Amino acid sequence: MITKSRRRRISASVRYVVLTTWAVVAFFPIYWMIATSFKPDTQWFAWPPVYFPHPPTLSNYLNVWFGAEQYAATQYAISSQKPLISLLNSTVIATASTLLAVLFGSVIAYGVSRYRILSETRMFQLLMLRMIPPIVIVAPLSLYYSALGLLDSMTGLILIYFLTTLPYAVWMTKSFIDEVPREIEQAAEILGATRWRTVFEIVLPLIRSGLVATFLFILILTWSEYLLALIVTKTQVTTLPIELSKYQGTTEGRVYGRQAALAVGITIPLMIVGLVIRRHLARGFSFGMVRR
Amino acid sequence: MSVAAISAGAIPLKPSPRERSQQRAIRRFRWSILGPLIALLAFVLMPVLFLQLYFSFHQWTVYLGSWWEAEYVGLDLFQEVLTDPRFGWAVVRSLLFATGSTIGCFLIGFALAYLMHKPFRGQAVYYIIFILPMLTVPVVIAYTAEMLLYQSGPLNDLISRISGYEFKPMWLTNPHIALPTIMLLEIWNWTPFSFIILLAGLSAIPKEPIEAAEILGASKWRVFWEVQLPLLRPVIFLALVLRFLEAMAEFPKTWALLQGGPGTATETLPVYIFLTTWQYFEISKGAVMSYIVMLLMIAIVLFAIRLLRREKRTLDALYGSAAAAPEAPA
Repeated sequence: MITKSRRRRISASVRYVVLTTWAVVAFFPIYWMIATSFKPDTQWFAWPPVYFPHPPTLSNYLNVWFGAEQYAATQYAISSQKPLISLLNSTVIATASTLLAVLFGSVIAYGVSRYRILSETRMFQLLMLRMIPPIVIVAPLSLYYSALGLLDSMTGLILIYFLTTLPYAVWMTKSFIDEVPREIEQAAEILGATRWRTVFEIVLPLIRSGLVATFLFILILTWSEYLLALIVTKTQVTTLPIELSKYQGTTEGRVYGRQAALAVGITIPLMIVGLVIRRHLARGFSFGMVRR
Repeated sequence: MSVAAISAGAIPLKPSPRERSQQRAIRRFRWSILGPLIALLAFVLMPVLFLQLYFSFHQWTVYLGSWWEAEYVGLDLFQEVLTDPRFGWAVVRSLLFATGSTIGCFLIGFALAYLMHKPFRGQAVYYIIFILPMLTVPVVIAYTAEMLLYQSGPLNDLISRISGYEFKPMWLTNPHIALPTIMLLEIWNWTPFSFIILLAGLSAIPKEPIEAAEILGASKWRVFWEVQLPLLRPVIFLALVLRFLEAMAEFPKTWALLQGGPGTATETLPVYIFLTTWQYFEISKGAVMSYIVMLLMIAIVLFAIRLLRREKRTLDALYGSAAAAPEAPA
């Protein structure tokens, strides 16, 4: 006879076993990337595999990020300062396009929430901008961009990221605006505030934290975008994901440590941002349809 | 909305000058927002779609001078693409990849969410670890996967040590395994997505029906199947539909890791279109494939949107959203 408390203890331990197993599966690749970034080159693909870098070294980071030549004396020499430039590009492009999307998106969202300037059907059609795979437009896009002189420019990428993340911005900010009682705006309107003042001085400040969450959420998307960046950028402007992909297939062979050092640098900001808004991720990814 | 519409229709009051000026102001406000949006779409999207249509009917490769001199070939290219077995296989592969990874993400995500929807010690830590894979850059995953999956790499070594058997599949170079490998990567990457959405859904289920069923003596199993699962339906649909659409578009991991290889084993639609356009420089053929894929995706997306619309109503009712009553202010 199994008592109730005993059964509860068993089910609790089953839960911990299952959850811990998946936690290991989820974390191991991330651990491996971090560990590899601290390994000297002899341990990158040693047999048997080296699970803990010994001694850990910073040479990968110094070489990849700062082009430190003294660490590039091996056959795996990579010495350029491109990653720092890419870091700057990525930061500017992601920030600018995300700001534009959130700013414009929240105004649209306000109009939809309060004045239905887009019908429900149009709102769902807006989602198509996101749901149709970008691969179907990249070839004509690159020709069009080259005609406009937008190829290989920050403006070009900012523009297309702005457009493709707009649906997220509209839907996510709308879900926040819907939660704001409209009595406050009505009071402001009675006092004679114009609609634009109401938007920028009352409604948007009220959903401040929601706007920050939306901003950071879209930042995650633009920061890690690959395909459009691959097409639009050539040599002048590269973003970090593109920079990373250049470290593969070069004549040096496999340069795991260097790649890992670069990868860690790209991923850490993303993880920090994601963990900051972890309570809003479900809302973001579901276009505001799921809330907590 | 409906109430406002009915009352406006039933009592045809002449609008006062004040109301009329307010309506004008609202209209101005509406167009000052929609104007830029339409301009943006007209400036960026329309020319692109037009170019795509043009290249679908005109044979052009980069070796021919200017693109506007391309030869009109009518539907020849469509015929070429539709009879290209490689294209057919890419469609099959994409659907397989998307379906498989969607189901994988869903099953694991659901199991995790179910185990985590009630508070317990360490919940916050598990939550943080579980969402990390989603917070990595897809290209990074591709390269990390390469570091993990080569034949005498750490993954095979670990599995061999734990199981005690020699375990040496060639994850990336065996054409029979390569597609499942990228499916596993996709599942690893996006299980967090299904997990957070289902967890949010499970936590939002009202407690009363569950408690009522338990009081009536329903087993845990029956409560799950007959109370929790039906209430979760909208969230389940959301997790499946959005994940499927994203998986259909997956490019960075597949491309950065395998470029469609070995052979054509991982050549999904995005990869094949990319290869055709940017490696074989068959712009027109690529455009036609894009066009067909776009039509296919529009059909899928329209269907998905129908589902989402229905489920969103249920969700809005669940959250008691203010959006349920979006009439214009009086």
